[in-house]
Parts: sequence; structure tokens; C-alpha cells
Amino acid sequence: MTTNTDARDQLIDLAADFYDQFAAGEIPEMELPTRTKSNIEYDEESGVWTYGDRTSVRSANSVNGARKLLKAAYTIEFLAEQLDEDRSSTLRELYYLSESWDNDEAQFSSQDESNDLVEDLEIVTGATREDFHMRPEESGAKVMGPLRLREQTNRGDRDIHCQLDVGQGGYQIPNNPDTIEFLENDAEFVLCVETGGMRDRLVENGFDEAYDALIVHLGGQPARATRRLTKRFHDELDLPVVVFTDGDPWSYRIYGSVAYGSIKSAHLSKYLATPEARFIGIQPADIVEYDLPSDPLSDSDVNALESELEDPRFQTDYWEEQIELQLEVGKKSEQQSLASRGLDFVTETYLPERLEEMGVA
Amino acid sequence: MTSFQSSLGDEEGIAEELAESQREISIAEFFEKNKHMLGFDSGARGLVTAVKEAVDNALDATEEAGILPDVYVEITEVGDYYRLVIEDNGPGITKEQLPKVFGKLLYGSRFHKREQNRGQQGIGISAAVLYSQLTSGQPAKITSRPKGQSEAQYFELIIDTDTNEPEISVDETTSWDRPHGTRIELEMEANMRARSQLHDYVKHTAVVNPHARIELREPGLDEPWKFERATDELPAETEEIRPHPHGVELGALIKMLEATESYSISGFLQEEFTRVGKKTADNVIDAFRDQHYGRELAWSPPSSRSTVTGATNDDVAAAIEAAVANKGAAATSAFAEGVVEALAERDRLSRSELEGIVGTVADAVEEDTGRTFGSTVRGNATEAAWRVIAGVDDGDADPANADSTDPADASADGDSPIAADLYALVDEATSTRKDDAAIRAMAEALAFRVANLDGEAYRIARDDLERLVADAATFVADQHDATFGETARENVVEAVWSRARTVPDAPPKVRTVAGDRDVAADLLEAMRETDILAPPTDCLAPITAELVEAGLRKEYDADFYAAATRDAEVHGGDPFIVEAGIAYGGEIPADGSVELLRFANRVPLVYQRGACATTDVIRTIGWRNYGLDQPGGSGMPNGPAVISIHVASTNVPFTSESKDAIANVPAIEDEIELAVREAARELKSYLNKRRSMQQRREKRDVLGRILPEMADKVSEVTGRPRPDIDGALARIMNNVSVEREREDGTVRLVVENHSDVNEQLEITDIVSAEPTDVSAGTVVDMDGEWFVQWTPEVASGDERELTYSVDGDADFEISVGGVETEKLTVNE
Repeated sequence: MTTNTDARDQLIDLAADFYDQFAAGEIPEMELPTRTKSNIEYDEESGVWTYGDRTSVRSANSVNGARKLLKAAYTIEFLAEQLDEDRSSTLRELYYLSESWDNDEAQFSSQDESNDLVEDLEIVTGATREDFHMRPEESGAKVMGPLRLREQTNRGDRDIHCQLDVGQGGYQIPNNPDTIEFLENDAEFVLCVETGGMRDRLVENGFDEAYDALIVHLGGQPARATRRLTKRFHDELDLPVVVFTDGDPWSYRIYGSVAYGSIKSAHLSKYLATPEARFIGIQPADIVEYDLPSDPLSDSDVNALESELEDPRFQTDYWEEQIELQLEVGKKSEQQSLASRGLDFVTETYLPERLEEMGVA
Repeated sequence: MTSFQSSLGDEEGIAEELAESQREISIAEFFEKNKHMLGFDSGARGLVTAVKEAVDNALDATEEAGILPDVYVEITEVGDYYRLVIEDNGPGITKEQLPKVFGKLLYGSRFHKREQNRGQQGIGISAAVLYSQLTSGQPAKITSRPKGQSEAQYFELIIDTDTNEPEISVDETTSWDRPHGTRIELEMEANMRARSQLHDYVKHTAVVNPHARIELREPGLDEPWKFERATDELPAETEEIRPHPHGVELGALIKMLEATESYSISGFLQEEFTRVGKKTADNVIDAFRDQHYGRELAWSPPSSRSTVTGATNDDVAAAIEAAVANKGAAATSAFAEGVVEALAERDRLSRSELEGIVGTVADAVEEDTGRTFGSTVRGNATEAAWRVIAGVDDGDADPANADSTDPADASADGDSPIAADLYALVDEATSTRKDDAAIRAMAEALAFRVANLDGEAYRIARDDLERLVADAATFVADQHDATFGETARENVVEAVWSRARTVPDAPPKVRTVAGDRDVAADLLEAMRETDILAPPTDCLAPITAELVEAGLRKEYDADFYAAATRDAEVHGGDPFIVEAGIAYGGEIPADGSVELLRFANRVPLVYQRGACATTDVIRTIGWRNYGLDQPGGSGMPNGPAVISIHVASTNVPFTSESKDAIANVPAIEDEIELAVREAARELKSYLNKRRSMQQRREKRDVLGRILPEMADKVSEVTGRPRPDIDGALARIMNNVSVEREREDGTVRLVVENHSDVNEQLEITDIVSAEPTDVSAGTVVDMDGEWFVQWTPEVASGDERELTYSVDGDADFEISVGGVETEKLTVNE
């Protein structure tokens, strides 16, 4: 974990780079990996997907480039001060805060611009957003399961058991899960669940207790904190991770970002991705096998599936087989379609069968 | 002084009309009836027209005398009338010349003068004189001082409207301060409602005549409006050329025929027209004979006929021998054999050709045998041989037509050699889809009609042949249900006509042609269809691109000027040259459409802009390509631009007699477009460059603001002193930077070229102490200041060091040239 001072120094180093470029009569610039699908590569060593060798240069030799670098300089100053004072702020706050800067040219014109700039700074400095004490707007998701942990809050350390000390909603993952220390656990595996409805069903049915599962709610495309915590569960507690989503192409990408990392944050894949995470369902094969209620694939679904066949992250035998099967049957099903077999079907039949198949539990 | 030509007469239409009408009506009446065509239809327009005529004549007069024009125009109110005074510094005008100048209104020169001159546009000063006389009752007051004379002469002149003769009523000596020149004073009923057209006319005249100085005074101007001279170069003198055969009209041709001293058409053509020598004249005359006399159809002699049946050469020989009496057997047979031998060399021949052969052979036999073959004998022999060849020995009997109900039986080969020949021609001319019976029927129907032609020579004009073929086709369609469409008929006509022979008859003499409109029309047609070299172009005097630009530069305060002059082209028989100029930006108003200046032979066209070919061309050009705004992508472009178009020609085609708009002649429109596009391309590259300069400036402004702020911020964050960012700035802006570095006694000027082109700079450093050890430069001592100069060429991306040594604390002042200031950064 990077300390405040480390992150601050890395930011100041970047400013110093600009300074040195100026002093040498050169045009300030920073080099970044090209952030496109075609420029992510599989890293054999870590088993995650990271940016490839192609880079693009953000240079002050154009009006736009100069504005970007000016904003970077202002943002560096802001972040350095924030770290000095050990405070934090959200990405959205950064966007609004820029309005207070004395320079109109340095103000962000949209939040996308400020978000992108923070990602640029992460990539160039090698630190993470969390190191800069920048929080995303959306709160992290929730965990329910047999685990006791200690969280550093700014009201002091709190020891929390993720079944006994929490309500029906579970333990709220903080923005920087690296502030968590794992104390003890009885967990057998981690089950990441896409939808809130399914998570609630599993908790209501006592699945976490019955199977000693750490149920992590992903809540759509998972926040970084959720992915980071999942990775820590795997790496530090040595727990197998399975991902449970809807059976459609968009949900496979949710699995992909947990397991392989996302294109936008590929620079953090080693920190966020859990390559060992496995997909539990809903598999296209399940739609057929369990004769689940389904919807026909729309054109955009088909395009998304075909695009996934091209995506280097999905070029495995397993995924090619599943995706081709789905294209063949032309159907998709939601997690909650399992309820067509009764409310207990998922906890008593589907998941146990799948876990056994996968050799997890 | 011929420049006061009354050009009204040059125009065929009006000249003829005038010549016709003057016998019946008075000139006053005629003028009244036609003043709309003459540009005097209103008081407002009359004044503009009078100024125009007078100024055009003044310019022509001075130029012809090789004098740089200095023209003064004054309009004053005199009671109910306006007084117009035009003065020039021309060669003046003598009393003897006065009637020529002012009396030629009705007669003009007989022919259109093939020369580029202003008057060709105009109605003539005499019309203005007449207008003034008719509206105010005042005579024209003319003051003239020929060069070198101490006194000036003053005339008052009126035109007698009964006799149409100019009369000089006052002739006295006077004094005038101009050393030479002419002053015309006219009083007329008029008004100044057309002031803007008047101003346009004068201003545009100044634009297109940069060698002229023009001054205008009129009641609406507080100060005289002066247009100064922009060049001392007179327009090139123009050569008058004779008319080109492709450029004359029937009326003009008849007049030329009437007036020529030539006796023969060949002489006439060579004498009166440009680009006609003996050979061209012969070609024209052959075509003329074909037009006038028709051709003689030619038939195959028996020897070359493919069919075995029918007459043979022996038959021809027998016929000739039978026709020749009392010449002795040997001579007779030698004669007959000679003719047959000559025939054998021919594919086909006409009767005239046969006559020629008979004559040649007869001459040879006469020489060999001493026997005389007189014209009767020759005539008889020709007659006899021709009957065999053409198969007319059966008189008027017509087997082909009578029996043609059964084409299979009515074979053409037996009794009509003509039908056989025609069969071959029709077969060759028609497509393979036609069945043989139809072709045979056509050939026979045609043969029947050909046989009925007057005379035995089968002489026929082309249009008659066309009628005949059409008639035969109709007959065949009726009788045989076989259609010969238009193309098929044309092909048949062409096949027959191309085999027919031009007759040997001498063409009619000039007098005959002149007296017969139809014959003259034949000649004109012959001239038009003959290929003749295009007319020479040295009769034109373009303004030249350089002076077109100078003219614009003089009258329009713009940022950019471009001009183009095309090479001469020919339309009809008249050569022409198109020039175009564009001025852009500066003081030219940016709102509304661009201003279009139209000129014909250096005369501004101020009326009927919408009807002019120039306007049409401008509208069709896609101006957005050239950087001008053009709503909807067509039509008049908008923006701060002036486009000028000059068409110079020996005969500028106008849409109407008032000569305000150039007619839509494709050849001229094409050249207008090319000229305008040529100038517009320069405009485009200028605008592109300007745009990139603008962007560069914007970038410079924005970066010049942002980068120091960024430098401040990074120095704040890093806690270091503010870095020097000049080098970075120069580099970023694709700049050329010149930077002075001084170490001890050595001064180094570092020139860095960050632009993407090579730069040739002129650098001057002014030093207050004497410099030494100057690297590759020159030093000039100027009263205690030393000018150190270099002209380094620095390649794109390269850098150069210029050094010298100087003692103590010398002062410097650097100036850098050879590179746009936008691109230059100098750090001292």
C-alpha cells in the first residue's frame, strides 16, 4: 500500500518532470498508454490484462494539450495539498472545486474530463486514485459472510463481524478497502452476485451461513473498492472466487472486469483483478439445461457477444464455447429467472450443483 | 485622328437599318425611335451614355497618339439643363476631321473593323451630340488644339437633321491652356438619378485603365474625384486584322463583294480575309462549286464492274469507234483503245471526267497520227461512251421502276449499270439487317430518279440528292414495306455524295456573286464548312494580369490581389482574350455579395448585370472551394471581395444593341471561368495561409497565456524558481526563434527554425561598439553604429549560430526580416 507521502512525492515528481522539460527548452508532455481495446495485453506473469506497448503523448504543443497539462498542474497541486492535510474528496468534488481555481483555463468543462485526468495521473505516477484520497461517487457494495475484520475509520478503528455485527444489508465496503484488516474467518469461498435482488434472496435463504460463503454484492459494473476487496479475499484469505450474474453479454463483462480487469483501469489490473475468479452462471448452457424463462437476444446483444469473441480477455475455450452456444440458441436469462422453479431452487439446487461441478464446495 | 470613329455604323444591324431608313425619315425621327437601343432612353441614362462615349473616345484618341490619357469630366447644372464637358490631352482634331468624326453617325465604316477598340462597344460620340442638340437646341462646342500649335481652334457644330450633314456654325481661334487636346461641351436635358452608375463607370474605367488619369466633377461631389495613374505603360498597340472567313455574316459578305477590287472569288478571298492563301481559297472554291453547281455523280466504267453481265469495255470501244467518222481506222481504233485503257484505271468517273479523258486521249492520238480530233468528234465520242457507261442508250425507258414489283426478277445488273452501282453503294451504306430485296428496291428506285435528272451528267446539289433519296425511300416504303430511316437515308446520301465529283466549271465571278443573294449564301456556306486556320491574336491588347492587379490595387484598398490573363481563343472568326482579377479584404465591405466589375474592351459595363455571361459564370463557380461564403453553394458569393472580368475581342458578342451585357457564348464563358478560377486559386491559397496564420496567432495567444501559468504552477508545486520557458514557446509555435546569448565579449545569436519550411532570414544587429570576429556576415560602419548583417538559410528543424565579439557593455538592437512576424520570436 502506498502511503500519503509516497503518492504526494509521485505527484510532485510529475510536476518536476514538467519543470525540467520547460527548463530544457522542451515542450512539456506526458506519455500514456493508449487506452483502447486493441492495446490491452495478457500479462503472463500476473494472469491479468494490462495495457500494451502503444502509447500516446499528451503534449503542450497544441492548445488542447496545453490546457490538459495546465489542468494537470493544478490538479497535482490540489491533490498534493489534500494528501498533506490527510483529507479526501470525491471525483465530483474535484470537478466542482476546479471552479474555485484562479485560472479559467484550468477549470474542467465536464466531470468526464476530471475523471480522465485522475486516471491519467494514476497511470503516470503508478499510484492509485485511492492513494490520492479520491473517492468515487458511488459507494462500495456490501459483504455478508463469516468474516471478522477491522476497519480504520476517521472515528477510529472498528472491529466488525460481517454476519453478527451487521444488519440484513451487510457490511458496507469502504472506498479504500486497503484500510481493512482481516481478523478471522470461517469462509469457504467468495460468491460475487450481480443483482441486489439475488443477493437479498441468498441472504434471506441463509446461503452464507449454510455454505460459509462471503456474499459480495457487485451492484452492476463493480466499483474499484469491490473488486479490490474481492482480490484481497482471494489473495490474503486464499478463498476461491465465483461470480454469479445474469446470463447475457453485459453480465459477462461484469465477470470480465472482476477476473481480468477493465479497459479503462487496465493500469490497475494487477491491483484490482482476480484472474482466478470463475464464472458460476447463469451460463448459456444453464438456460438450456434448466429450461429457464428467457428473452430472445436483441441485435445489440448479438453485437456485444460477437465483440466479446474478439475481446482478448474472452478468448478462452470456455468462453468461446459458451458465447457460441448462446448465439446459437439466441436466448438470454436473468439470475432471478431461477425463481420459476421456486424461491429456494437457487440456494438448494442450482448453486450447490454448480459449486459441486466446479469443485468449489 | 481616326479614333473618333463613329462606331454606330460598325454594327451591321443598325448600320443597315440606318442606311435603309434615312431616305425616308429624318435622323431626328430615327433617333427618337431608336434611342432605347442607343442608350439615351432617359435623361438619367443619357447623361451616363454621353459621358461613356466621350470618355471612351478620349481614351482611344490619346492612346492611338501614344499619349498617356489625362481625361477631365465635368457635369454642371445650367438652368434646366446639364452641361457636360469632356477634355482630353489627345492630339486634337482639325476642322477637316470634324465631319468625319461627327458626320459618320449614319454611314460608319463599311465593314466591321477587326480591331479591339473601345468604340466597338459604343454608340459613338455623334449620338451624344445629336442627343444634346435635340434636347437642348444647343450646338456641340468643340475646342481643339493639335500638338505644336500655338493657338486652339473653337468650333460650334450642329447636325442638320434634314440632310444629316454636320454643319460648322462657328469656327474661330481661341486660346486654351492645354498644350494639346480636345474639349467637347454638350448641353442636354438630363438628371443625375443614375449617379451611382456614373460613379461606377468612372471608377471602373480607372480600374481597367491604370495608365489613365481621370478627374470627375459633378454637382453631387464636394471635391473633384481624382483617379491617379498607376502605370506609365500604354496598352500595346493593336493590329487591325482582316475578317476571318468564319466570322462574317451574309450582309457583310455581300458588302465586301460589292466593294472589292478583285475579279475572281479566289482573289477576293485571299485579298479580303485573314488566314486565306491560295490553297485555302481553292478549298473554299471547291466547296463553293459543290454548293452552287452541285456535284456530278460518278459511275463505274464497265471494266471495274463486278457483275459479268452488261456492257463491257469492248462495248465502250465499239460505241466510240461508231461515233468517230473519217479519222481512219488506225487513228479511230487507237483513240477508242486509249479511252478504254484510261477508263480501266478508274473505279468510277463522272461525265466531266470522261470528257477530260477523251480530251487527253484525243490530244495524244492527234500528236501520234496527225489526224485532227475536233470538238465535235470529241463531243460525240464522249456522248457515245457515256451512254454505254451510264446505260442510257435505251432512252427514257424505265425498266427498274416498272418491274420493281418483283425485285427478285428485276435484277439491276442486266439493263441499268447505274442501278448496279447504286445497289453497291446502298448496300455498303445500310446496316446488315436490311434484307437484300429492300436494298435492291432502294437502289432501283434511286436509279430511276437519278436517271430522270436533267442532262446526262447527273449533276445534283447535295440538298437535292437528299430530297431524292428521301423520295425513293418513301416509294420503297410504300411498295415494298421496307423502311429506310433517317440514319439509313443519310448514310446513302453520304455514300453517293462522297463518290460524286466536284464539277470543273469555273466558279461565278465576284460580280455575279455580289448580285445574287442566294449565290452569296452558297459562298458563305462554303467558307464556313472549310477548315481554316484560326485568326491571329495580335490584334488584341489585353490589360495583362499585372496591370489588372495594379488597377484593382489603385482603386480598392484590399489585403490581397490576384489576376490572370488567359491565352487568346477564337469564337467564330473573332479572337478574344479573357482576364480576371480579384481583390479581397481590407476596406472592401464584408457584408453582402461580392462586387463584380465587368469590362469589354476596357469599357466598363454598368447596366444589365444579371443578363451578362460574366455574372452567370461567377454564379456557377463553387466559391466555397476558394474560401468565399456562398449561400446554398451557388449564386453570387458573399464577402469582402471584388472580382473583375475583362473580355477583349475584335467583336465582343453582346446580348443586345445597347451593349450592356456579354452574350452567353460557350467558348467565351469557358475562358471566363478558367480565368476567374485561376485568380481564385491564388485567393484560396492566400485565405488558407491567412487562416493558418490566424490559427497560429490564436495558438500563440492561448499558449502564450497558458504555458507561463503552467510554469508558475509547477514551480509553485515543486518549490523551485520559475523556469525559463521561451525555448519551449518558440518550439511549440512552429516558430523561428532568434535568441541572443552573451558571454564575456562574445555574442551568439542562435537561430532556430521550428517551422516546417526552410527559412531565409535577414538578420541585422545594430551594435554601439565595433564588433570583431564576425561569423560569415558583413559589417557596415554607420556613424558610430555598426550594422552586422547575416542572411542565413536555416532548414526546417535546424539551427544556426551567428557570432561576433564585442568589447565592453555595447548596446544592441536586432531586426529580423524574411520571415512573417507571426512566426518570429526574438529574445534579446
